[in-house]
Amino acid sequence: MVLIRKRSVLAGLKVHEVMRRQVIQLPPLATLAMCINRLVKNKISAVLVVDDDAPVGVVSKTDLIGAFYAGLPIETQVRDIMAGQPLCCLPDDSLESAIDRMHGMGVHRLYVVGPDSSRVIGMVAYPDIVGLLYRYCRACGNSSARGRNAGSAEVDILGLRVSEVMTPGAHSCPLQTSLAGVVEQLTALRSGALLVVDEAGIPRGVVSKSDLVLAYNHGLGIDQPAKMIMHAPVVSCDCDDLLAAALQLMLLKDVQRLFVHRHRPTQIIGVLSLSDSARFRSGSCRACISGRLIAGE
Amino acid sequence: MLARDVMDTRFHLLRPGDTLTDAVASFHAAGREEGRQIFGMMVVDEDDHLVGMLSMYDILLFIQPKHMRIWGEMEDLDLDRLFPDLLGRARNIRVGDIMTTEVVTTSPDSHILAVADVMVKKHIRRLPVTEDGRIIGIVYISSIFNRLLTGFLAPEG
Repeated sequence: MVLIRKRSVLAGLKVHEVMRRQVIQLPPLATLAMCINRLVKNKISAVLVVDDDAPVGVVSKTDLIGAFYAGLPIETQVRDIMAGQPLCCLPDDSLESAIDRMHGMGVHRLYVVGPDSSRVIGMVAYPDIVGLLYRYCRACGNSSARGRNAGSAEVDILGLRVSEVMTPGAHSCPLQTSLAGVVEQLTALRSGALLVVDEAGIPRGVVSKSDLVLAYNHGLGIDQPAKMIMHAPVVSCDCDDLLAAALQLMLLKDVQRLFVHRHRPTQIIGVLSLSDSARFRSGSCRACISGRLIAGE
Repeated sequence: MLARDVMDTRFHLLRPGDTLTDAVASFHAAGREEGRQIFGMMVVDEDDHLVGMLSMYDILLFIQPKHMRIWGEMEDLDLDRLFPDLLGRARNIRVGDIMTTEVVTTSPDSHILAVADVMVKKHIRRLPVTEDGRIIGIVYISSIFNRLLTGFLAPEG
């Protein structure tokens, strides 16, 4: 008997089939202001630093926030804050091994180096992987990601719910918390965003790493309150929503995470991040999960 | 025929700290003033040094959702309804956040054939003219086109 081994919908895919070929780069002497300009302009989270085409480092939003916290002037050069050798993979590596590596090393992206390993030819990052999963889902006949299937009985049974994939719990800070306090909390939690709540504990907005990086570029002081730079309203979904709908919302709104509420938007109980969704590796319903169970994962 | 002969000495400037709303309003105001559509402006710092250019393309690129390719596949999606959200997130953005910082300039004494060469090869539509580090004008690709090809329309012989 032939056993179909279908471990996940990403099985069999190679890095070069899904990598993004545009990799935004800067020379080591570029300023932090230029670096932030590239991040915002291209809606990315890190810039590759290259010296004569050879990758020498990476500057991520996290590094920039560290510089903001340390009070470094915005004219500082990227070589002074960049993190050392970029983590790389090869175009022929399986996407699954790349995701394992990203998870294991706690990074959000891997650079892809060509045969001449001193040159970067692309990158893989969580948002692109989730985009791929979502497109796969939409193309699948069982999918709740397709408008015409919404509300059908099969979707009700097969469709995964947000509560099954989310990370429970959401961290928050008061409106008056200084940006320094926000940075400390984000660093301690290794998190990308904090909920900002008022005296009654009602969520009023979110401060993300992107908001902090913009504040740095706009010359704001690290002692300013969180409410000054937070973005509102909080983008959230219900824990009983279909995962497919939540993924769509994240991709549409270009956000890295959705806060998850129970019954009413003010009661936040968890976070669904793009990296959770990518690591989950399945589409958004049980038709995919059963495929994984066969392989005994 | 040199760059100084075709450059426009009326030009408009933005500051890196201007909001995108300010910038779009400046595009409109400058367009009314000059009686032509303005799609890009030079950005200068406090010392009036050129630090970048902001064009319509930079703004459109920012407004675009990152996963536009996926959006395009969702025929059941109401894009008009989502558009206000895209504009909303642009409200926090300033000119310095998205301007193009690698700016090509020319000197007033460059021949316009050389200027045209740079503009065509690098896909530049407007080129700042600087002298001793100061901006003295701007050359539009349309001015070069008009100047170089007027002869085309004249009867031969």
